[in-house]
Amino acid sequence: MNSVASARRAFAVSMGKAVRDGSRRLGKGNGSAVPGAVAMVIDPGMLAGLASEIPQGAVLVTGSNGKGTTCRLLAGAMRAAGLHPILNREGSNQLSGLATTLVASSGRFGHLPADDRAIGLFEVDEGSFPGIVSQIGKPRALVFTNVFRDQLDRYLEPAYLTSMLERAMRELPADTTLVLNADDPRVAYLAPDMENPRLYFGIQDTGLAREGTDPSSDFPRCPRCGSELAYRCVFYAHLGHWSCHHCGLARPEPQVRLTKVDLLGSASSRVQAATPAAEILVEVPLPGLYNAYNAVAALAAATACQLPDRAFLAIERVTPSSLRMERIEVTGHSVFLTLAKNANGYTEVLRAVLGDGQPKRIMLGLNDCEGKQPDTSWIWDVDFESVSGLIPSPVITGNRAYDLTVRLKYAGWLGATKATTLTTEPDPVRAFQLALARTPSGEPLWLVSTSIVLQQIRRWLRQQGFVKEVWREQDQLLAGSVRL
Amino acid sequence: MKITLGCLYPDIMSTYGDRGNVATLQRRCEWRGIAVELRELRLGDRAEPDELDLIVIGSGGESQQRLIAGDLHEVKGPGIREAVRQGAAALAVGGGFELFGRFSRSGAGSELPGAGLFDAWTIGHRAILSDQYDSLTEARADRALGDLVVRWHDRLLVGFENHNGGTYLGPTAAPLGQVVSGVGNNGDGSEGVQLGNAVGTHLRGPCLPRNPALADFLISAALRRRHGDVDLPPLADDVELAAREVAMRRARMASRTRRGRVMLRRPARPGSPAGVQAGGRR
Repeated sequence: MNSVASARRAFAVSMGKAVRDGSRRLGKGNGSAVPGAVAMVIDPGMLAGLASEIPQGAVLVTGSNGKGTTCRLLAGAMRAAGLHPILNREGSNQLSGLATTLVASSGRFGHLPADDRAIGLFEVDEGSFPGIVSQIGKPRALVFTNVFRDQLDRYLEPAYLTSMLERAMRELPADTTLVLNADDPRVAYLAPDMENPRLYFGIQDTGLAREGTDPSSDFPRCPRCGSELAYRCVFYAHLGHWSCHHCGLARPEPQVRLTKVDLLGSASSRVQAATPAAEILVEVPLPGLYNAYNAVAALAAATACQLPDRAFLAIERVTPSSLRMERIEVTGHSVFLTLAKNANGYTEVLRAVLGDGQPKRIMLGLNDCEGKQPDTSWIWDVDFESVSGLIPSPVITGNRAYDLTVRLKYAGWLGATKATTLTTEPDPVRAFQLALARTPSGEPLWLVSTSIVLQQIRRWLRQQGFVKEVWREQDQLLAGSVRL
Repeated sequence: MKITLGCLYPDIMSTYGDRGNVATLQRRCEWRGIAVELRELRLGDRAEPDELDLIVIGSGGESQQRLIAGDLHEVKGPGIREAVRQGAAALAVGGGFELFGRFSRSGAGSELPGAGLFDAWTIGHRAILSDQYDSLTEARADRALGDLVVRWHDRLLVGFENHNGGTYLGPTAAPLGQVVSGVGNNGDGSEGVQLGNAVGTHLRGPCLPRNPALADFLISAALRRRHGDVDLPPLADDVELAAREVAMRRARMASRTRRGRVMLRRPARPGSPAGVQAGGRR
């Protein structure tokens, strides 16, 4: 890099830092996207340049659901292996958010601190993947969690998304390991002609398979020949043991697999995992089958990074990400903030909480994104039917609370025979206070919702002194690994 | 009383909450003591015109449309046309609506045959699955995407549209209604098609839950085939109406920010004036 370019880099980074500090001081949130965007305007090569400075390279994690938690689990394993992961903040998973992360991690002169244990661990929005993959020149591994029908007003159709991702994957160097979910046919068969090393992960324990299939699942056609796929078992949505009777394509045998999964109530699960090198038994302190998938994805990525076996056990110490069953103590109740942003996510969260068949206090929320993503049609694909009656006196909230109420009415929640009193209160804070007042003392309350409702409640809880700011907590986390 | 409800390709053309339409028809019948026999018609199954009182097809994207177009044209099309001619009711939504017309031509030049029920056709701008867009942002910008409010007789229908290109009506087709807010068929102010008791619309996904009047229109029409005119007892639709209010309020907000923006840029109808403007009547 010549001196002009290097001065430009330093200027870009310090401007980014100034914007970030300024926005925090003004209380305008954590400034997660703007600083990076500003720095990239000054020096468009900044992200690629800084990323190439990371001594241990980078791991990219993308897919519809589970990216953030997979990163968190993997970060724990990396730290246990003595590496110092540079993580982007949850939700800051588009180009500018990633740039902000590297601005924050760099020194004033526009370089990352000299640390030969540093490794990039980046959650990448699936829609932003093509733009990001071209910047992160030589990722060590690309982890692909799953492709669900998600926010069709944002990502259009899954077939389009996979074709776009596949095109972008072709820019990867030949030694990037592709860590792919074997149980998701769309993911397993991504770019089959690429000769990169492939590491598949999946669940072997067929004891967990659902009876029949989810009415809301969209089963992809065979990714090779387009025929109908046959499933020997389905874990959830379209994830399972699949094969095509027409062309013979079948789920690849995963090298990293869960041989046994015991779901332990609404809090955790115990999994037995096998990697090419080891067999381990770990307790994943996050509930539900979807988190078991996140755990096996993280194990596979750890295997791809050749982390030592002992690092795998760090999974047991993971804490939930912000809004992912994040626990906050409020006046004697444990309140769990639980993000559910698409049909499969909502269904699986409800199953994780209510899977033991015990009634629980849950507030349900739904919002659209202020005109940007007005389509909330997907609630009709959520399986509310099977948990009908398990939520006493539910409170429904968010700017689309009435749409959700209609959905629950047609799911039979308001039927004359059920003594359920359902309350619709679009204002999230008022609804939360109501739900909290209705929850018997000492009992937990789950808030299951799309993001804006949860953010509003979280902000209110912060103002009330129940919770610290997200970026402070995360900075503390980062401070443990990379000096800022 | 009983109606037979034929649900077309429930495994393919149910990409975004289309189950909501079937659930709404079923429940609103059930609440009034009307039995519903649900027939799922998949690839290869014929549509029996004498048996089906109500036919529903949901939305689907390019990949789903490619899967069903041939079957819809050859196997089910004749039965659907005959059933509607005999007075059966039908609801075709989004991608299903496009294929209830004569054909749907994608921007990549390929043409899918339709069921031929409606004298209408759809012409896409560019095809997302043929890599005709460089980015998701570009692909999204080229779509009619947002809240859609339609005047239908003396009522308003509310919902959501997400489609690429335009749908054009031939001389024998009548629109379902007029666009109040959103894009609708092609930006000329019309939305959907109505032919007898068959309704086609871009109000995609679950359009019936928030439009109970349209659901009841379809149920009445379906009953009329076998039971003559039946007065449907009114239902308490307070939450449905509250959800409608929210949708209309948000559509008004969105249309204010969108006003003036040209959504449809290419002349899609052969011989049509260039630069069809979005928005319709406001």
